[in-house]
Amino acid sequence: MSTPAAVSSNRAAVPPLSAERAVAWPKRTVKTLPNGLEVVLAESHTFPKISMELFFRSGNAAVAHTSPGLAEITANVVRTGTASRSSRQIEEDLRRMGGELGTHAGADASAISIAGLAEFSSGLLELLADLARHASFPENEFERERRQRIEELKIERTTPGFLASDRFRRVLFGEHPYAIVAPTEEQVAEYRREQLEDYYRRHYAAANALLIAVGDFAAAAMMEQVEKTFGEWSAPQPEPQFVPSPPRHVGRRVYLVHLPGAVQAQVLAGNLAVTRHDRDWYRTVLANAIYGGAFHSRLVANIREQKGYSYSPRSGLNPLRQHGYFSVHAAVRNEVVAATLAEVFYEMDRMRALAVTPEELESARNYLTGVFSLGIATQDGMLNQLSTQYLDRLPEDYLETYREHIRALTAEDVLSAARRHFDSANAQIVVVGDREQVQEQAALFGHLEVFDVHGKAIELVVS
Amino acid sequence: MRLGNGLRVVASPDRSAPFVTVGVYYQIGFRLEPRGRSGFAHLFEHMMFQGSENAGKMEHIRLINSSGGLLNGTTNYDITNYFEAVPSNALERVLWLEADRMRALKVDDENLRNQRDVVKEEVRVNVMNQPYGGFPWLDLPPVAFRNWPNAHNFYGDFTDLDAATLDDVRTFFRMFYAPNNAVLLMIGDFDPNEAFSLAKRYFEDVPRGPEPARADISEPPQREERRGEVPEPFGPLAAVAIGYTMPPRGTKDWYTAAVLDRILHGGRAGRVHRRLVLEKQIAVEASGGADLLDTNGPTQMVTRIFPKPEFSTDEAIGAFDGVILELALQGTKAEELDPVKVKIRADYYSMLEGGMGSYMPRFGLMHYLASFALFDGDPDRVNTILDKYLAVTPAEVQSLAQKILVPGNRAIVIRRPVERDAPKGAAR
Repeated sequence: MSTPAAVSSNRAAVPPLSAERAVAWPKRTVKTLPNGLEVVLAESHTFPKISMELFFRSGNAAVAHTSPGLAEITANVVRTGTASRSSRQIEEDLRRMGGELGTHAGADASAISIAGLAEFSSGLLELLADLARHASFPENEFERERRQRIEELKIERTTPGFLASDRFRRVLFGEHPYAIVAPTEEQVAEYRREQLEDYYRRHYAAANALLIAVGDFAAAAMMEQVEKTFGEWSAPQPEPQFVPSPPRHVGRRVYLVHLPGAVQAQVLAGNLAVTRHDRDWYRTVLANAIYGGAFHSRLVANIREQKGYSYSPRSGLNPLRQHGYFSVHAAVRNEVVAATLAEVFYEMDRMRALAVTPEELESARNYLTGVFSLGIATQDGMLNQLSTQYLDRLPEDYLETYREHIRALTAEDVLSAARRHFDSANAQIVVVGDREQVQEQAALFGHLEVFDVHGKAIELVVS
Repeated sequence: MRLGNGLRVVASPDRSAPFVTVGVYYQIGFRLEPRGRSGFAHLFEHMMFQGSENAGKMEHIRLINSSGGLLNGTTNYDITNYFEAVPSNALERVLWLEADRMRALKVDDENLRNQRDVVKEEVRVNVMNQPYGGFPWLDLPPVAFRNWPNAHNFYGDFTDLDAATLDDVRTFFRMFYAPNNAVLLMIGDFDPNEAFSLAKRYFEDVPRGPEPARADISEPPQREERRGEVPEPFGPLAAVAIGYTMPPRGTKDWYTAAVLDRILHGGRAGRVHRRLVLEKQIAVEASGGADLLDTNGPTQMVTRIFPKPEFSTDEAIGAFDGVILELALQGTKAEELDPVKVKIRADYYSMLEGGMGSYMPRFGLMHYLASFALFDGDPDRVNTILDKYLAVTPAEVQSLAQKILVPGNRAIVIRRPVERDAPKGAAR
């Protein structure tokens, strides 16, 4: 071979990966205080910052049957006043400590997160404790937040992604509290301030709480400070409540949410699947990565890179505390709704029928293990990983063994997970779009029901 | 370090965790895309994932993902970037891939058609099929600016996207995607000498390109306030965007502007949010900011206001003007400025550490290093810029407010909800 060819063939070879450097998983200092508060601390000294999050193991699911969204508005109002600080005082205290505050509630948990400069760690911690223990729920702030929430809901009801998950969760979970992702405007209008206080009193309790802090501090001294700040706080665990099971879904059904004037269709399909505690968890994670959970996955290669139907199709596992679900979503042009669903199920069925190739298996295992270790390179990433472990009560060595679990998986594991948890035959399908553009295509995939954006059924009259 | 072909190389070792973040930044953004080809810079960015000399379609993505890493690219006003975060044992592989696509793209008509379709769905999902989609970043420029590079539709008109050809792709690549128009950044777990020698090995023989032609992006002087309206097809509320053009990069006023921005915006303690949302309760939301560090041309500080339906957009603008007037007339004091500076410092560290979600470590550090390298020829400014902000005085803030927060330096765009017909009844 001539020299230029030799040079270019040299250049053509993909460089191999060099030896892997060991990942040093964060050392955790863990303690449960006598009042029941769990504390997890991890040092991270790269930047002079601290990130903390105080979780309560109750969220909107705890109130879905009485007052949907109550946990969320409680979280919103918590940050607007305490016995000793006005709303403005809180925001100014934050600013002088370089602080960032967030309060929110999901289905299973409520949380107050606070981050700022490490030199103000104790002030930030005190503010966090003040919000967790002495929130005062000022009447005017409550009314302001309530009003803002109503206006936000009006906007959400014009947002395709929201409308899709709102309908999908209702279908998937039926009478189970996870069915409700947001309250109605009427429900928000009925909230009373005392309900928020009551929710706060019962659920923002030491025995129901988990504090995680990551940052530029010495763990031992930090623990002392936490004990000093939170030690006096005693509040019992809320009583567990009975929740109905989600329905069993037999056969594919299609739910069309009619969004007048939509120039694209939002497709969302899936089924009940696994929580992180399920013995199939890791293998389902891997199957999902190969199916549609990564940029190089089959579904993305198919409907984006080959067919150009969609910009960001993805599938995912959603492990809520009591039940998990598997879902796949894509925003596609109106003309290819049926074509997209055909590929979604084709790829699902292929995962169920045939073993993945050794290359795909290797590639997806590397992807998951690599991305997992990237997670500890920032304080927020580390806090995220720790909250997964401790909020979900995963084993002590969860971080250290995650990659071993993934690396041990085989093509048979992937096949069995896909067969059990990619329930193609009984998938529930939601399409959000203009019905005149997409209804006929949607109806090809199962019994069809149509709803307006407020969730009201629209009667079908077929000519 | 600068290679013989003009490629700038910046390395920032950090051995705290076994990852590396690598970026290649080209000094071309949507401002400089060719006339009649709106949206082309972004479409082109997609083409950079479609295959290069030795790595075919999907190979870039597969090789990075299967090395345990993540990748992406973004198109901005004055830069387009391509970046990866990977375990540190994949550094060499990433450099190989980036060099391969800097040397030669290998794309065809089918790739172009495919990505044109993908981009159209991107525009639909982010703009055309979302309430307030593209508000205000696509709404303001055509109202605020007069010179096409600053004033056109950056995501692209579909007719322009359809008109793009493979020849356009080749020409654009030749003109702007040369090593002398780029900077390579490596951050994370490596020995800097090794990293530099790897960079040399893979990039040194990428041929230098022509000096890129740079269109004139200056704006004619503005005298009057500029206004525009855009219909909002989905959202129920009107929305107001107010943009003030910022001082030129690197001037004393440019640093002061960053501080002034944070006095006005900067979360719930910022004056705009406090007055409009918390005190007067005219608006559901009021927020804003200015992207100063990563732009190199006419740039605006933008405030977004969503007035409650019982207040008119004029009332909201009036309340906003009250805030502006107060700053211009009464200025600020140390008791406000000092905590603002603490917050600036905290936010700067957070940005350097992450900046694009917790899974793209040091994205912000990379982004700023690249901007300082390309626009100022001095990546080291990443270490000194905070001092410039911290040195700003109350008097400087007030005098800048009087100079730039004036009607003749601003543009206002209103998103106005369209009246929709009553929902149609049952299907026929």
